[in-house]
Amino acid sequence: MLELQNITKIYRKGSKSFTALKSINLKIDKGDFCTVLGPSGAGKSTLLHLIGGLIRPDSGSITYNNRDIYQMSGQELDNYRRKHLGFMFQQFYLMPYLTVLDNIKLAISNENNKSGIIDYFLQKCNLTELIHKYPSELSVGEKQRTAFIRAIISNPAILLADEPTGNLDPANSKILLSLILDFNKNGGTVLLVSHDPDTLKFSNKRITLNTGNLVAAV
Amino acid sequence: MNPFKLIIKELLYRKVSSAVIFITAIIACGVPVAIYTLSKASENETRKIMREQGLNLYIFPKGTNLIDFYSINNTPSFPENYVDVLAESKTFDAVRHLTGILQVKFPDWKDPNGSSQQIILVGYKDEAMQRYLPQQETMGFDVVKGSVQVGALLSRNIPEGAPFTIIGKDGQQHSFKIAKRLEEGRGLIDQGVAFNLEDLQSILGMDGRINKIEALGCVCKDGRIKNARGQVQAVFPDLEVTELSSIADARENQRLMMNKYGAFIIPFVVIGCLLITGLLFYQNINARRFEIGLLKAMGNSTGSILFMILAKAFIIGLAGSILGFFAGSMVAEYFGKEIFLFTAMSIKPIWMVFWVSIIIFPFLWMLGSWIPALIASRMDAAKILSEEY
Repeated sequence: MLELQNITKIYRKGSKSFTALKSINLKIDKGDFCTVLGPSGAGKSTLLHLIGGLIRPDSGSITYNNRDIYQMSGQELDNYRRKHLGFMFQQFYLMPYLTVLDNIKLAISNENNKSGIIDYFLQKCNLTELIHKYPSELSVGEKQRTAFIRAIISNPAILLADEPTGNLDPANSKILLSLILDFNKNGGTVLLVSHDPDTLKFSNKRITLNTGNLVAAV
Repeated sequence: MNPFKLIIKELLYRKVSSAVIFITAIIACGVPVAIYTLSKASENETRKIMREQGLNLYIFPKGTNLIDFYSINNTPSFPENYVDVLAESKTFDAVRHLTGILQVKFPDWKDPNGSSQQIILVGYKDEAMQRYLPQQETMGFDVVKGSVQVGALLSRNIPEGAPFTIIGKDGQQHSFKIAKRLEEGRGLIDQGVAFNLEDLQSILGMDGRINKIEALGCVCKDGRIKNARGQVQAVFPDLEVTELSSIADARENQRLMMNKYGAFIIPFVVIGCLLITGLLFYQNINARRFEIGLLKAMGNSTGSILFMILAKAFIIGLAGSILGFFAGSMVAEYFGKEIFLFTAMSIKPIWMVFWVSIIIFPFLWMLGSWIPALIASRMDAAKILSEEY
């Protein structure tokens, strides 16, 4: 499904350069629940951004369903992100001026066909009563659950989650992880960057990075 | 989600910055509208003031002695239909307000007391309609047939309510209702009478004849008189053109002053407001960098980000131009009444300016926000989403 071959990413600032990832080779299959581990600066977020088509590698290729995503046109890459990926971040990035419902609708192009699915997930995430609330009126757990629905509402093949439990208390982390697990059980592929040891219980694949090197992929 | 819904919600959320951008757009549109409206009022005011002073261009038969012309001695006449021919000419645009005039000295007019005196008789043809040029308010005398307007010195000898009587060339007495007694200080007409042209032609037995055309010369780059003379003589080579430069200069200077003022202040205000708008949009997209990063991560194209910012600028420009038009018109009306005494009541919104504003300003605002929109569309989503919130 997703294959990374010899991926190297170097950040440059003036004459200085920093190698975030060095010759990474990885294979992620459909339905995998991969946890990406590693200390700060190991290259975990860079790996997610590369898979998400947000940054270009300096060398190597990333193929999704046998197509190199960095050989795609700009429009194809936008489509890849819109239709095949869902993003979650530690900071939620909810639009402050949109309600819970509108934040979710932001991720879908045809609202008419999705109202049933939105209702289903709102109920599942215990947000039905909060649909007209603004992010400033939500708890962190509610914000992250809203961000989760937004990430998966378009039924993406892959969920890229960058430390989604980083700002949550243990109870909320547990709720969120169970939702992500549900997504995985329904056939979704998950790539989750986390320091939370609980996530390891759910994952069938662990990717460990250190200073840009792939230490282990089991 | 509908991008317009997103734009409106964002505008309502960031109330202060939205209000500042709106106010900038209102000022940018309102100031030019106010200046333009006032300049039009000033033009009308000048026209009305100049009406009191008379028209500045004189057209008469070639070979006319100017001493005789200004002394109103017997000068050659020409057909009155020359006026209509000039007015109907499609290429004749350097001269406006064409008024055919017949003016003569009447050496032996008897006032109601029986005293004899020399007076001036002036017959005015209705101002010619130049239908190939934009319509303007008429100038000069409008004397209704069967009535006269009597000069100040002459009217002293005519009792209130009495008609004006004169013996015509046919030996008959002609009587006219006095429609107006003119104020003193209007030159030769103080000692004269203004007629409708047909009435005077009938008195003098000069049917279909005039001896001068009065008009207004254009404010032309290559000179008023040169241009006017060229155009008149292209149609009637037997006519000559001269002007009273003091009136023409005053009128031209007044108009040019207003145009120069507008030409300086309007671009200054609009460009200034556009720069402020650009900066405000830049500030806005920086405040929204995480939103933009997220939208990109969610698969929104560079074009859709660009569209979102430019559409917002369009909406602000449109709303600003509508409000700015009414604000500018109100300001012009309020202050114009204080400045322009003659035209105070006729200072009204100029609807043509409204349509021009709502077409131009939205696009100007899109232009002003172009660079910030471009910056937003090129923002590095990965870099933004890696930053601390």
